[in-house]
Amino acid sequence: MSIVATIGGQLLRFALYVGLYVLLFDNSSVVLFGLGWNFFYLGFLLFLPINTPIALQLLLGFCMGFAVDIAHDTGGLHAAAAVLLAYLRPWVLRLLTPRDGYDAQDTVNVHQMGWQWFLVYLSLLVTVHHLAFFFLELGSLQHPLVTLGRVGVSILYTSVVMLIVQLLFFPVRRGRG
Amino acid sequence: MRNLIAFLLRYQGVMLFVLLEVVSLYFFLTNSSYQRAAFFNSANAYMGVLLARRTQVTDYFRLDELNKQLQADNAQLRRQLFPPDFAHREADSLPVGRDTLGRIVYRHLHPATPQVLTAQGQGLLAQNAKLKAQNSLRPDTLLLGGSKQATLPLVPARVINNSLRDVDNYLTLNVGSADGVQPDRGVISAAGVVGKVQAVSAHYARVASVLHSKLQVAAQIKRDGTIGSVSWPEGTDYSHAMLDYIPRQNKLVKGDSVVTSGYNSVFPAGVFIGTIESFTTEPNKNFSTVTLRLGVDFSRLTYVYVVPTPPRAERDSLEQHTGELPAPVKAAQAQAAKAKKP
Repeated sequence: MSIVATIGGQLLRFALYVGLYVLLFDNSSVVLFGLGWNFFYLGFLLFLPINTPIALQLLLGFCMGFAVDIAHDTGGLHAAAAVLLAYLRPWVLRLLTPRDGYDAQDTVNVHQMGWQWFLVYLSLLVTVHHLAFFFLELGSLQHPLVTLGRVGVSILYTSVVMLIVQLLFFPVRRGRG
Repeated sequence: MRNLIAFLLRYQGVMLFVLLEVVSLYFFLTNSSYQRAAFFNSANAYMGVLLARRTQVTDYFRLDELNKQLQADNAQLRRQLFPPDFAHREADSLPVGRDTLGRIVYRHLHPATPQVLTAQGQGLLAQNAKLKAQNSLRPDTLLLGGSKQATLPLVPARVINNSLRDVDNYLTLNVGSADGVQPDRGVISAAGVVGKVQAVSAHYARVASVLHSKLQVAAQIKRDGTIGSVSWPEGTDYSHAMLDYIPRQNKLVKGDSVVTSGYNSVFPAGVFIGTIESFTTEPNKNFSTVTLRLGVDFSRLTYVYVVPTPPRAERDSLEQHTGELPAPVKAAQAQAAKAKKP
């Protein structure tokens, strides 16, 4: 795949994730148990190619978070949490490196990498992101139980939605995505 | 030099990370201040257009409900225009049933198509704004002052974006400075107080709703006039708020109406806020802990009105300088002091 096509494809993904999140899945429309919501837009960052340069990942994370912040009037809250996620992603990937390293065609894909690998990857990053997001939003540790409840429900919700996205839209066979 | 470049490349991840985090946290922390450039929020032109489009689409699915709301609102206002002889002998903000005879008849006579409904909605909205302006021309007995502002019209607006579950919640309205909306104006709906305008662009406005941790509304209990302040601390849901600073010796009754006191000149006096749902007095506190059920259902808020502000600078400067000597006296005193010195 040529570079132009790759960049074009990623831009399209960016627009799709932000658009769907802002217009359909935001936190005033689809809420689980009245507590948590799904951070659909994280799919863009989580499913970037494995060898994306760290600087590019951070910038993309910032742009993504800031776009959501503008729509939700949260200042820089989503951006701060998304940048943290983008920074930790290479670490988690390194932690989960298979015995013989990543192949050139490896992508973050539940079919290729296996359920165990994918669930650990997803839950680690989503947990860190949600903890950072909700406690930063609160600005204190005043209501730990309510906030932990929101974090827990949101982790569950986001993870399930990410899994659905993987199962529906990611290729089963290797080498196409 | 080569070493420097190598160093920068080696630690580009960490440095960029710290830089971006600092930038985002700066934006986050300054978000609720008023000095922010109006661009980076949902009231900016591009985001405003996008959100307005979304509202246009989703509105089609609830036109019926919207029209019912507006018509109930209208019926209530018309009832106020023609009060019976014994009006104003009781609290006039007791919850009025939304059902009216007219509504039922209307719906069966005119099974309207969406286009007609939209037009109807627009008409009803304009009618509402007119009626509200008329009503405030004839203030009730509880409204002792503040009748001057009645000559300014309310600005009807549509909520195009709404958050409920953040720590600080905001609304976006489809009116802006071109419609005469300014920051610090109050926003009300038929059911009560909604919030305060925080930033405006040409055609959109961002409103800090009552569900904002830093917004406080000067309030009073309608039955006995006890003044307090309504706030929304983190941990309460979007249908409740707290009423602070009610002295513990004051008697409270469940179901009492709480209205704005008009003390902070953002809202006119007497706008409904909510009813007292529960209260406790603790032996070691001077104030009762009072929980309100808010009159406005923020989860289905659609049409609101921006309140014109009375000449505020005059009142604020008067309140700030109370107790100071008037300017001529001050000048005379200064002269006398100068004369004494040499």
